[in-house]
Amino acid sequence: MLSASFLTFALTLYVILDGFDLGVGILLLLQPAMPSRDHMVDSITPTWDGNETWIIMAGVTVLAAFPVAYAILLPALYLPVIFMLLALGFRGVSFEFRVQTKRHRRKCDIAFAAGSIVAAFMQGLILGGLMQGVRVQNLHFAGSVLDIFRPLPVISGITLVVGYVVLGGGWLKLKSNLSVQQFASRCLRVSTPLFAVLFGIVCIYAVNIQPSIRSEWMSHRIALPCLVGLFAVLAGTLTALAKKSRPTMPFFLGLLLFVVGISGMALIVFPNIVPFSLSLWDAASSSTSQKFVLIGAALVTPVVLVYSGFAYWIFRGRTPENGWGE
Amino acid sequence: MRLDPSILARIQFAFTVSFHIIFPTMSIGLAAFLAVVEALWLKTKDPLYLQIYRFWLSIFAMGFGIGVVTGIVLSFEFGLGFARFAEMAGPAIGPMIALEVLTAFFLEAGFLGIMLFGLHRVGPKLHFFASCMVAAGTVISASWILSANSWMQTPAGVAIHDGHLTVVSWRHVVVNPSWPYRLPHMVTAAYLTASFMVAGVGAWYLLRGKHQHFARRTVALGTAFVSVLIAGQVFIGDIVYGTMLKYQPSKMQAAEGFWEKNSQSPAPYYWIIIPDQNNQRNRFALGIPYLGSIWLTHSLDGRVEGLKNTPRDSQPIMGMVFYAFRIMYGLAIVMFAVGVASLWLRLRGRLFSSRWFLWMLVFMTPSGIIATLAGWYVAETGRQPWVIYGILRTVDAMSPVPAQALLSSLIAFVCVYAVFIIVFLTFTFRIIRRGPAEAPPHAEASGSLKNAFRPHVLDSPARVVKRG
Repeated sequence: MLSASFLTFALTLYVILDGFDLGVGILLLLQPAMPSRDHMVDSITPTWDGNETWIIMAGVTVLAAFPVAYAILLPALYLPVIFMLLALGFRGVSFEFRVQTKRHRRKCDIAFAAGSIVAAFMQGLILGGLMQGVRVQNLHFAGSVLDIFRPLPVISGITLVVGYVVLGGGWLKLKSNLSVQQFASRCLRVSTPLFAVLFGIVCIYAVNIQPSIRSEWMSHRIALPCLVGLFAVLAGTLTALAKKSRPTMPFFLGLLLFVVGISGMALIVFPNIVPFSLSLWDAASSSTSQKFVLIGAALVTPVVLVYSGFAYWIFRGRTPENGWGE
Repeated sequence: MRLDPSILARIQFAFTVSFHIIFPTMSIGLAAFLAVVEALWLKTKDPLYLQIYRFWLSIFAMGFGIGVVTGIVLSFEFGLGFARFAEMAGPAIGPMIALEVLTAFFLEAGFLGIMLFGLHRVGPKLHFFASCMVAAGTVISASWILSANSWMQTPAGVAIHDGHLTVVSWRHVVVNPSWPYRLPHMVTAAYLTASFMVAGVGAWYLLRGKHQHFARRTVALGTAFVSVLIAGQVFIGDIVYGTMLKYQPSKMQAAEGFWEKNSQSPAPYYWIIIPDQNNQRNRFALGIPYLGSIWLTHSLDGRVEGLKNTPRDSQPIMGMVFYAFRIMYGLAIVMFAVGVASLWLRLRGRLFSSRWFLWMLVFMTPSGIIATLAGWYVAETGRQPWVIYGILRTVDAMSPVPAQALLSSLIAFVCVYAVFIIVFLTFTFRIIRRGPAEAPPHAEASGSLKNAFRPHVLDSPARVVKRG
């Protein structure tokens, strides 16, 4: 149970932290001016590495605390996970090397953006695949690796891409110079309503194809509609404020938007870990292993958060025009 | 042709993990080297050290980036290709990797940003602290991962009830029998790797007659580290050999190339064999007489145990283990020779002028990487057919993923990683060709920790924008 909370915590941090990294990456494709692109990349340069580490944390927590679920989910999600990993790889490498070159910088940017889009899409696909449910027999995966490519996962993939654009836009408003801020505002005004609509479609569609989700709606009659309402209000505010407000607002509204979305998901999935066929307790490893991880996590996570925060603080404020200086 | 999923999954894992380990090996070594160089800079205030720091920092950064993205792949690949292994070993190795992420990855990632881009944002002392934290992070990471891998080699501290594994004693899982020796073996290997890279690039500049000061200093540093480290490594390697002989005799039997339960006396030391696994014999074997007895039994006529001591269905494939071991061992001998030669030349004051020696250093630049890879091949192929030695066989550890999916992902990995390595090498060679840039004069080794917290950012547009 505590492991599950830690897992949710790690996943949430990953989604919102790497979410804006990926969002910035996706937006590179829409930004025609090279200096602005440099500026956008500079804004995430010092911290992307730490952000990406949270996905390893989430994956490994599943391995340590819920090995049975790990052994079911990864074969089930084989193709999207592989593509996501390759895309993240492409993204990371093009990121490292774009500073080294002037001539190929455009190519690096395209690779970076493409990697970001594919990674975001695959993550959405994975999420959708989970909502759709995984076929399990005898605690082993019994479906086909192609199960994932159905309409629901695909729509949720697109939704997450748009969602990350919202986060990335908010980040750019927070961290960048005036011209990029205007660019970010334009993006936010389009992407936020789109994200909200797509999110709504995913919700409705999921309820229609997965009876377990419908029953979850029935049992959380108050909580889930409240979350949806909150989501809509946040999205509305964000769209309205995108143009004028202080630069901090859109980013934090975007973060809240994601937190609300994730809590809704968590509420639906809980107490399962492989959606709708395997509960947390059936998948859990022995209590000694859980304790070992949790004690370690309890001791180290606060320290990690402190110095990660410290790193953000060192690179606080707006990104300097010429990068962080070498 | 029917594709065998288990072979494909193993090739895929071998490929991705081999590719990955190249970069952490460099990172562990270079991070320590950079921390040492920065310490020297802070102590002597010699700008040459800052120049060395900056030059190797840029190569370190690229290698580190590739290490991170290829490492993410591995943390999922246990489940992608080897679901049964993940299910069984998850309770033991999962927590160790989780703690690796918590204690090491975040440490590295958190301070890497400061290390790479913070030279103007924080003071030199805090920056040095960041370098040290990154170096420490790489060692902590190696420690956990070696613990997990050593547990697979020499499992301890667990109980097994109808196929489920529960940890009885974490102390015995983490400090399993082979970990205390394999960890220093790997860390020293990584330090040697970096030393040879540093010395090799310096030697290349000397041969070209470029960047003399930089080149002399790095050759001097690199060869000094090599001389000390290789002596330690030979010593540690010997202990690892003894440990593995005790816990995994089949691996060492395969590594020495003998089949019969007891070899002839005196035993030769084989360098080339053509093993015939089916008939349990060598078709051809070439070695140095007596040397096997002397090295392996420390006597003139001792006999060496052969692979027939291990039941056939538990034997590793001799050829792979043997040649991987010979490559590692052969390179270690050459490294030792380089270390001795460097000491001799240093004493005679000809370290920077002996062209043959400098060429030798240039050729030895990748030697650490090759030896480390070979060492891992000994460890991993020698453990076969087990994935957890004596507990779980590799063939029983597979995921229910069809061969076509595995094949397509394998092809994708090969293509993408090929791009990675080409890009990495291109940019590394470009950096080397361009040479170390002059260190900018304003980054002086001064300032206290207090200054570190009040960075003077001259070009920060923040205030300008707020006012306007």
